[in-house]
Amino acid sequence: MVQMTGELQMNLEDKQGRTIAKDAYFQGALKVMRPIYLSKSGQVCYYILNPGGGYLDGDRYKMRFSLEKQARATLTTQSSTKVYKTPTDHAYQETEIILKDGSYLEYLPDPLIAYRGAKYKQKNIFRMDRTSMLLYSDIITPGWCPDGKHFSYDLVQLVNEFYLEDELVVFDHLKLTPSNQQIHGLGFMEGYTHLGSMFVIGEKVDNSLLDRLYDAMYEKTDAYQIGLSKLPIPGVAIRIMANSTQVIERLFSTCHTLITSEWFGTQPSFLRKY
Amino acid sequence: MTENLLSLLQLCDSNFPTGAFSHSYGMETYIQEDQIYDQASFQQWLTVYVNEQLVYSDGLACQIVYAALVEENDERIWEMDRLLTVQNLPRESREGTKRIGERMSMLIESLYDIPLLSTYAKRIQEKRSNGHPAIVFTIVGHHLGVSSESTILYYLYSVVTSLVQNAVRAIPLGQTAGQQVIQQFQPTLLDAVEKIKQIEQDDFGIVSPGLELAQMQHERVGIRIFMS
Repeated sequence: MVQMTGELQMNLEDKQGRTIAKDAYFQGALKVMRPIYLSKSGQVCYYILNPGGGYLDGDRYKMRFSLEKQARATLTTQSSTKVYKTPTDHAYQETEIILKDGSYLEYLPDPLIAYRGAKYKQKNIFRMDRTSMLLYSDIITPGWCPDGKHFSYDLVQLVNEFYLEDELVVFDHLKLTPSNQQIHGLGFMEGYTHLGSMFVIGEKVDNSLLDRLYDAMYEKTDAYQIGLSKLPIPGVAIRIMANSTQVIERLFSTCHTLITSEWFGTQPSFLRKY
Repeated sequence: MTENLLSLLQLCDSNFPTGAFSHSYGMETYIQEDQIYDQASFQQWLTVYVNEQLVYSDGLACQIVYAALVEENDERIWEMDRLLTVQNLPRESREGTKRIGERMSMLIESLYDIPLLSTYAKRIQEKRSNGHPAIVFTIVGHHLGVSSESTILYYLYSVVTSLVQNAVRAIPLGQTAGQQVIQQFQPTLLDAVEKIKQIEQDDFGIVSPGLELAQMQHERVGIRIFMS
């Protein structure tokens, strides 16, 4: 068996309107902070943290979160995911998320920052019940390099698989290898530096919600480009290209606000980070 | 040229009525934004579209489906049909491709007697499969005894000729310019077939951010002559 650099498993359940951890296990370079209840809704919020401060050569991370029926949770990270130079072997993170009937998860990790010479692969597997709801986002930054050069990482590959009642219904695959792509050119990043993706999945997503999301998020501007499209199941995929994390986060927050008010009649809680 | 290759060429004709005529796969978004406006800018988009999207979806699928046909592994073909559909996040491109696949399967059924194709067409009617032109094309290529490599090459060629005809109408370009693109594109297509042979099955479904975003944005393009 592969030795994991960090492992984290949590099973969350609803207990009289409050979501709590039924069991939790972590080892190595992955931890969660104590649960926080940001509102009276009973929705729990966990911050995931990487005590090592970043992902290194050959690192392997595995996470598994399971939400029992009616459980409601926000999962986020304490800070951005930093992937340092990987001279011999890429870093890899696999996350499996299981959402049972009526559960709701917001999985909103901070942006990914891949350093010069970094190779990073990530796979998220979402296994959803038809009545569960999901809001997921990720942001890929142009990385970091001492001389400030953008896109100096070697590889960033993100795969998202969404299963609805055991059937693969959405497959998302991005693979950026800037050294052999015209990364700034037509069809790629087209002059932008940051790429955000968001998936909103749930029975209540329909054309009218898509229109309202579009009205709230679209603007004719050079500051960002946005695309929204309906998935083969009730859900929406959103892609944004922009020049800063903040622009994408602001748009995601607009979407988040609209979704939580539609679905629960509440406002999302501000995720305090220092 | 063998007789069978001639049969496959019929499917590559841009007049072959599959409905590809109605789809630009995001090209129209770039035309509206004045990013595609002449032969050179169109050719640039076409190169990225073929090398960074088509090879990882349709192209790789042709290769996998051909191998599955040789091994008589039908389940693998139906799995590729699903993967091709679920990896296509822009709704218009996904639904357009399904329609083309369905139409093409019916048309082929009236031309050839290929039991597996009939099974596929039936699955599409029953909504157990989605329908995809790359799969229909590969089934015909394999049935005609054309090699996997040539089947992939002719499939890519059929996509390119349709897109060129669409660009000629939409940009617009002169017919001569269109033919120049097709001629100059030949080495790119041969390279794409080589690239498909090299890529891993794990690379299936890779998309290029800008191309995909333009395909999504097409839903909101004001004046449209294409359905995607």
